[in-house]
Amino acid sequence: MASHLGDPRVVEFDVRTDEMLINMGPQHPSTHGVLRLALRTDGEIVSEATPHIGYLHRCAEKIGENLSHRQYIPYTDRMDYLAAMNMNLGWALVVEKLLKHEVPERGRHLRVLMAELNRIASHLVAMGTYGLDLGSFTPFLYAFRERERILDLFEEVCGARLTYSYITPGGATGDLTEGWLEKCEAFLDQLAPVIEEYHTLLTSNAVFIRRTAGIGVLSAEMAIDYGTSGPVLRGSGVDYDLRRDGDPWYTGLYRDYKYEVIVQKDGHYPKDRDYPPVPAEAVLGDSWHRFYVRMLEVVQSVELVRQAMERYRAAKGDCGAPLKLTQRLPKGEAYLETEAPRGQMGFFLVADGNAIPWRVRVRSSSFCNLSITHEVCRGCLIADVPAVIGSLDIVMGEIDR
Amino acid sequence: MMTLAGMDWHAIYFWLFALLTCGFALAVLFSANVVRMAFYLVLCLGASAGLFFLTGAEFVAAMQLMIYVGGTLVLLVFGVMLTAHSRFVSLRTPSGEWILALIAGSALLALLLSAALKVPDWVKANPDRAAISAADVEATTPIGMGFAGVRVDKLSQTDPQLLGGMSGYLLPFLIVSIHLLVVLIGAAYMARAKRRAAAVDEGAV
Amino acid sequence: MAELINLQILNRLLGWAGVDLPPSHLAGAVLAALVHGVILLGIVAVAAMFFIWAERKVAGRIQDRLGPTRVGGRFGWLQALADGIKLLSKEDVRPREADALLFRCAPYVSFAASFTAYLALPFSDGWVAQHINSAVFFILAVLGLEVFGVILAGYASGSKWSLFGAMRESAQVVSYEVPLGLCVVVPVFICGTMNLVTIGNMQTGWLTNWLVFHDPFTFAVFWVYFTCAIASVNRAPFDLAEAESELVAGFHTEYSGMRWCYFFMAEYGSMLLVSGLATILFFGGWHGPVPVFDMLGWSSMGGVLQYVAELAGAANFLIKAVVGVTVMIWVRWTLPRLRIDQVMTTCLKYCTPLAAVCFLGALGWQTGMFGLAAGPLWSPNQLMAVKQRGEYRESWVLKAEAAAAAEGSAAQAGRPAASGDRDEPDVSGETEPARSSATGAVGSPLSRKGGVG
Repeated sequence: MASHLGDPRVVEFDVRTDEMLINMGPQHPSTHGVLRLALRTDGEIVSEATPHIGYLHRCAEKIGENLSHRQYIPYTDRMDYLAAMNMNLGWALVVEKLLKHEVPERGRHLRVLMAELNRIASHLVAMGTYGLDLGSFTPFLYAFRERERILDLFEEVCGARLTYSYITPGGATGDLTEGWLEKCEAFLDQLAPVIEEYHTLLTSNAVFIRRTAGIGVLSAEMAIDYGTSGPVLRGSGVDYDLRRDGDPWYTGLYRDYKYEVIVQKDGHYPKDRDYPPVPAEAVLGDSWHRFYVRMLEVVQSVELVRQAMERYRAAKGDCGAPLKLTQRLPKGEAYLETEAPRGQMGFFLVADGNAIPWRVRVRSSSFCNLSITHEVCRGCLIADVPAVIGSLDIVMGEIDR
Repeated sequence: MMTLAGMDWHAIYFWLFALLTCGFALAVLFSANVVRMAFYLVLCLGASAGLFFLTGAEFVAAMQLMIYVGGTLVLLVFGVMLTAHSRFVSLRTPSGEWILALIAGSALLALLLSAALKVPDWVKANPDRAAISAADVEATTPIGMGFAGVRVDKLSQTDPQLLGGMSGYLLPFLIVSIHLLVVLIGAAYMARAKRRAAAVDEGAV
Repeated sequence: MAELINLQILNRLLGWAGVDLPPSHLAGAVLAALVHGVILLGIVAVAAMFFIWAERKVAGRIQDRLGPTRVGGRFGWLQALADGIKLLSKEDVRPREADALLFRCAPYVSFAASFTAYLALPFSDGWVAQHINSAVFFILAVLGLEVFGVILAGYASGSKWSLFGAMRESAQVVSYEVPLGLCVVVPVFICGTMNLVTIGNMQTGWLTNWLVFHDPFTFAVFWVYFTCAIASVNRAPFDLAEAESELVAGFHTEYSGMRWCYFFMAEYGSMLLVSGLATILFFGGWHGPVPVFDMLGWSSMGGVLQYVAELAGAANFLIKAVVGVTVMIWVRWTLPRLRIDQVMTTCLKYCTPLAAVCFLGALGWQTGMFGLAAGPLWSPNQLMAVKQRGEYRESWVLKAEAAAAAEGSAAQAGRPAASGDRDEPDVSGETEPARSSATGAVGSPLSRKGGVG
């Protein structure tokens, strides 16, 4: 025994126990839908976590090859159902990119408005369910209280609360209703102070910090290697946001908007004076940072929504009519990535001259984000698995499509 | 014959608990599943705690529940759950071990019986119930004082030879507990497994 | 030979009916047992129903919603009953992999343990099913048995999640018994008795007589006790055994219907139990902040007025215990859950040392800094003390006194005059009793052994 003591390859383990192979999911409360994780555990320690996907596969890409570009909009809704506006936007933009069709100025601001509002809603759900994953039920209902108001706003605009099909190639299905902007303004005013509540309940809560700080650390190199994106990538300290760094066709939307990419630089996040400081235990790239990036992005999106409302008011004209169902797509292909709440959401479209695309392919952000699971969950405790999966904020609808 | 109203309920409770204790002790012997054994043992020890309560030794009864049932047996089942339980799920006793156990068990029983029958007070039932019930509550204090190093029974002991040997129980108690601690730490150390880091990476252990 | 059941309530009931039954009578013993059993079962069941409703209501308010509002008219106060009926009507499912016998028994083991502990819990002066001299120890011991039901459930379910829940539970509860015991020992050695009725009565009088205000260490140790109590009854943030986000539902994953309900009743029963224990050990038990009935003189008057005073005491006790449970509910709906290693760290690195420091501190306070000062240091308890702690007698001493008085003289030869060197025997022939009621140095080694062992 003593001969091993100097050997660096020998890992001292606690009392040896039996290995157990357990299935987490697909009907597990904290795998966010129908993800199945095969865990190999040694007591409470997870030595291997393998994600299995495909339980929500609905052939969305194949369906896209049988429908007209406008008919495909409802199917994009059902990919990331928590951020359906952003999905609509991604598809609308790629079709427009192929058609080289510019939406009017007012339509541009409307799209920013909707996309950012939905980002707030999506991050609120991410925050609430993350609380649930850690065993704290209350933040979930607080988050849903605010999200309800966003859904009310969406409902007023398009009649739907989850699957909007609002932003279409060419513009949107309708303009904002009378008095909508005032309601939205009132909502934003109400949201700002309650964000403090969330920080008290979660971000700066001692138990929360102990559960998340230093858990599931994803280094910047690994984050890039695995193609992660969105808050997961920025939580690892990589300064990359498609709204600033993406395709000109997409960044054009955010032309002349003022915002800062939420990423830690020199130990500080932009505008983090008003928010809890980074705890000493937190390591860049851990679950706490991923969560914190989302929380700050809510604030960022609030600012963007305010700017969008101001510009929308100032803009003249309409916001663009949806393209005709039979509008033929020119022969060729287009690929466009947008910054959805969960990261880089890419639509690839190949057309052969018909209104029905020849090939549709979707690049899912959650899929890549999930792929780091087996790296970061190795050697953690069972309780850390929900903490890591929750901080990745996956939506199975988007992964399986 | 006693009528129902005149029956000695104390004896009834005694027989009830005694039968439960013996019955579950037999169940421990004859069951093959280790967790079931533990469960029967809990019931057996619980029933014997009931016997202690009947005699008024509440402290001993509570101690029995806490240490054996709440502590030892929980740890036992914990250990079974943590380790490969397939080995323990069915424990069949070979007949050779039965015979050995019978010999050892009956020898112990004979020893205890003969020792018990030599105490003159225990051979015959004591008709003076009031005296017993007054005495029952005094059991815990001398024990506690003894642990603290004060032997209260020294005061009534007249034999000087016996008196010389009557020291407190503190030192033996401490020695026993430290010995137990050493054993536990040693067991934990022995159980620790050393594995190579490379083996863990491959997922094969 | 011990008396099996406290006959006070039965005698009172029978006295009103004009019947007299001797305690050694079979019918008397059975009747007394039944009366106590039914009363306690009623308390536990009603408490569980009340807390299920309160939990939903408090959780609702904390979460910015209303909670149940419909069933039973206002406030949804019959919600728990509706839940119960639903649970009764559910199918009793047993997994094929399960160990049938243990799977069926496990909920009863849990509930029986939680219920049995109530036998030693006094609700008011003398309102206890069984006068047990080491009641504190008994309650801790029996409460520790509840874990066995959980372990059996986890093992017998044949589900890996249940097994994990059971493993966590056993590790957690066995660990938390240590600091819990240490915390409980502090009031025990201050009072010099483990008899809960006596401990409660020693806090007679004003608010300042509560043991939590005895000295800074007892104040601190209460919080350690409360933390450990939450952990030992498996409530959030220590509810690892049923951690729904990690282990689906932990040990009761495979349970449904009434069997599942028994686990719940056990949980709420133990919550009330540990809160009740805290009430007696730290918050004066059945004595309110203002001794209204003592000032009126009703508490020692006998007859109906004393009964009313005792009833008010029971209400007092229940209110304090319910406040304790409400705090547990509040904590549950506010904090995220700890991880298993953090739960263990909290126990071994914080609770146990803190409890030990408080133990030593309170011991020092009680013994005048281990003999440096002339006597016990000043304590707020002395502000409006009714009488000296040492003058309170345990119930069996009182009974022995009464018996001695009845017999006229009861000097029994051959009985060791154990404590003759320390205290003046104040009961003829019964020298032993004085020992238990003596304070400080004499009481502590006894009780320390009890708590740690």
